[in-house]
Amino acid sequence: MPEYMNIFTRVQVKTVAPDMGVPLERGDVTERGTLTRHLYLLGKFGDAQLGPIALSRFAVISFLFGFAAIEIIGLNMWASVGWSPVQFIRQLPWLALEPPPPSYGLHIPPMNQGGWWLLAGFCLTTSIAFWWLHLYYRSRSLGMGTHLPWAFLSAIWLYFVCGFLRPLLMGSFGEAVPFGIFAHLNWVSALSIRYGNLFYNPFHMLAIAFLYGSTLLFAMHAGTVLACSKLGAEREIEQIVDRGTGAERAALFWRWTMGFNATMESVHRWAWWFAVLVTLTGGIGILLTGTAVDNWYYWAVKHGVAPQYPPALVVDSSFADSLRGTYQGPPPDSFPFISTKPSSLSPGSATVLPLHPGVGDTSKVSASSNAYTGNTLHPATPATPTPAPTTTQPPPTEPVTPVQVPVTGTRPRTSP
Amino acid sequence: MTTAKSHRWPWIGPRNAGLACALVAASACSSRTAVIQEGYRGNGKETNYKEAALEQSLLDNRVPPSLQPAKFGPVPVKEGTFKNVQVLTDISQPEFNRTMLAITQWVAPKTGPRAQCAYCHVKGNFPSDSIYAKVIARRMFQMVRHINHDWQPHVSATGVTCYTCHRGQAQPNGLWWYTDENQYLRAFLDRTDLRVQSHSVGPTDDNRSSIKQANWTYAAMIQMSRGLGVNCNYCHQTRSFQSWEMGGPKRVIAMYGLWMVRDLNMHYESPLKYIFDRNTMPLSPSRLGPLGDGPKLQCITCHNGVYKPLYGVSMAKDYPALWGQSTWDSTSVDLHSRVYRMTAGNGPATPDSTPGYSGEGVKVPATGVVPMPLPAPSGSAPSASSGATPTAGPPASATLPTGSQR
Repeated sequence: MPEYMNIFTRVQVKTVAPDMGVPLERGDVTERGTLTRHLYLLGKFGDAQLGPIALSRFAVISFLFGFAAIEIIGLNMWASVGWSPVQFIRQLPWLALEPPPPSYGLHIPPMNQGGWWLLAGFCLTTSIAFWWLHLYYRSRSLGMGTHLPWAFLSAIWLYFVCGFLRPLLMGSFGEAVPFGIFAHLNWVSALSIRYGNLFYNPFHMLAIAFLYGSTLLFAMHAGTVLACSKLGAEREIEQIVDRGTGAERAALFWRWTMGFNATMESVHRWAWWFAVLVTLTGGIGILLTGTAVDNWYYWAVKHGVAPQYPPALVVDSSFADSLRGTYQGPPPDSFPFISTKPSSLSPGSATVLPLHPGVGDTSKVSASSNAYTGNTLHPATPATPTPAPTTTQPPPTEPVTPVQVPVTGTRPRTSP
Repeated sequence: MTTAKSHRWPWIGPRNAGLACALVAASACSSRTAVIQEGYRGNGKETNYKEAALEQSLLDNRVPPSLQPAKFGPVPVKEGTFKNVQVLTDISQPEFNRTMLAITQWVAPKTGPRAQCAYCHVKGNFPSDSIYAKVIARRMFQMVRHINHDWQPHVSATGVTCYTCHRGQAQPNGLWWYTDENQYLRAFLDRTDLRVQSHSVGPTDDNRSSIKQANWTYAAMIQMSRGLGVNCNYCHQTRSFQSWEMGGPKRVIAMYGLWMVRDLNMHYESPLKYIFDRNTMPLSPSRLGPLGDGPKLQCITCHNGVYKPLYGVSMAKDYPALWGQSTWDSTSVDLHSRVYRMTAGNGPATPDSTPGYSGEGVKVPATGVVPMPLPAPSGSAPSASSGATPTAGPPASATLPTGSQR
C-alpha cells in the first residue's frame, strides 16, 4: 500500500541525538527546555520526539492561572454534587459553574452566587493572556512570523466578547457563558432564542461561511498534498522554491477542474485568513447581539433578508396582545404560592361550596406579578349556568356556553 | 491489503467489508420515518415519526374498553341512599356504581388488601373519609369535571378521565416537586411570563430578559416537547419562535394547555399538600417535596409522550359522571376570563361560534382553531397498523375569528 494511503506514519526516523533545533540569533537559551523523549507511538501520528518544551516565565504564569481556573471550576462542580466522586464523573457533562444571576448586574456577587465564576473567569483569562505572550515571544525568538499568536488572538477575541465584553456592555455578568460542557452549549441555544434566532445575524452568517470555508480549504489542501505526496508534494517548503512534479501536478489539477489554482504559499494564506475571520466576525456578531439588535429575525425582516411565507395562523389584532404574554421577569425568590385549602379536602366536610371570591394568602405572594397572586376573583362573575343533568346523561353533545367575563383591561406586557 | 484490487479501492478491502455490510444492513433494516408536513412548503414545519416507535406507542396507549352502560336509574345520587357523596351527586346510582368500577380499573386495579375498592374505602363503611386516598379521589373528580367543562379549548370534546393520567397506576407520570434545580417548572405552576423574545429590532427597556431566563423558557418548552413526543416545530416555526402567525393553530391549543396546567396545579394539585401533610398523613411523607409542596402535574402526565393523550380517543364520552357541575371552590375565574377573552373580545358567543361537534367527535372550539383529525378510528382502541399513522395536520392556514368575520 502506498504511503499516502496509510493513516499512520510507517517509517520513523530516529536520530542518534535529539534534535534541539536551530541555533537562535537572539539568544534566549535560558528558557529553552532540554528534556526530550523519543516515543514510538507519537511517531505513528507525527514526530516521534517529545520536547524540548520551552518553559518561559509567561508559560509558568499561564499554567498556574490555568490550573487555578480549572481547580475553581472543577471543585465548584464537585461541590454541586455533594462531593460525591461517582456523581461527579457521572454527571460531569451536565455540571456547571454558572455566572451570577442577572440581578447582580456588574456588581461583585457572593462567592456561591457567581463569585467563583468571576474568579475562575479572571484566572482563565489571565492564563490565556500569558499563553498568548508565550506564543508571541517563542515565535519572535525563533525568528518566525507572528501569524500563530495573531490567529490565537482572534479566538481570544470571541472568548473575551462572550465572557466579558458583551456582559460589560449589557450591564450584567449574568449574560456571560457558564463553565460546563452542556451548560455552555445551552447558553449558545438560549442566546439564539433570546435574540430572535442568531442565524439571521449577518456576522454569524459570515462566521459560518468562514468556518465552512476553512474546512473546505483544509480538505482541498490536505487532499491535494496527500494525493501528490508520492511525488514529494508534502515537502511543501522546498516545492515553493523549487517546484517539482508533485506541486505542478497539484496546480494543474485545480486549473483543470476550476480553472484557477492557489500556489503552495497562497493556499496557506487563504486558510489562515478564513480561520482567523471565523472568530473575528463571530465576535462582532455576538457583540452586536442585545446591544444593537434585540431580535435578529426582525432585523432580517426589516432589511429584506428573511423571506415571508403565508401565515399558518391569522391572529386577530385584539387577540394578539393576549397571546404575546409577558416578558420573563426576575425569578421569584419565594416559595410558590399555594392557594388556600379547598373545603373538599377536609375529610367529612360539607358539600361543595359555590364559587366564592376567595383571596389567597397574599403575604406569601412572590414579587413577580402573575395571574395567580394578588388577584381577587371577579365578584360579578356569574356561575356557569349548567342545567342539572338528567341521569345517565351522555356527555354534553350540545356545547356548554362559556363563561362570559367582561374584559378587564389588558395584561401588563412588561416585566417588573 | 496488498492485492492489486485493494490497492485501487483501498476502502473496499476485506477489512472494511464488515463495516460496509453493516452500513447497508442498517440502512435497509432501520425503521421507516413518516414525515408529516405541517406548514408551508420549504420552511421545515414538519413532524417526523419513526414508524416502529409509533406502533409501539399505539400499543402502549391503547384504551381499555368502556364498561357496559349502566341501567337507567331515575333517582340521582343526591336523592338516593348513598351517604357522603359530594361530587357525583347528579348521576344515577347505577351510573355511580359503574363509575366506581371504572375508577378502580383506572387507578387501583391491582389486587390486595389495600387495593381496588379498599384503596379508598373502608370496608363495611364506604361513606367514611378516613382513608386519605378517598379525599384525594374526590378532589380529582372535581378536577376532571373542571377540565372537561372549563378547559374545552384544550381538551376539546374528547375530555379526560382518570385513566388519561393514571394508566392503572396510583401515581401518574411526570409528577414533580419544587426544588432549586427545577425552577423552570414554575411555568407550570405560578409563573406566566415565559416570553423572552422582543418584538422590535432594537433593544428596549421592556424586555430585560436575560439569557439565563431564556434558558428557563427553553427548559420549560423542552419539558412540553418531551411530554407530547413532538419537536419544537410542532407548535413553532423555529426561525422565529415567538411568532403566532408562523407557529400555527396547534400552539394556541398548547397555550390553553399551559394555562390549564397552571390552573390545575395551583388549585387542585398543590393543595393536596394539605392531605399529604406529615402531620395528617405520616405514612406517606414521600409524597411531599423537599420544600413541603404536594405533587404537581405537567404535560407528560396526561399526554404520556403522545401529541394527543391516548391518540385522541375519547373515553370520557362514555362516562357522564365526568361531566356536569364543574364549579368548585378555588376555581380560578381569572383564568376563565383569559381563556374566553377571545370570545369576549369578539362579542357575545353565538351558537354559530360556540363549540360544537363536527365529524367524529372532533370539536371545533370557540377559538376557531382547527384541531388535528383523530389519528385512529374513534373505536375502543387504536389499531397498531400503519393505517393509524397520524395523518396530515390541520390545514396550513386556520383562521381565528376576527371582528370583520362577525
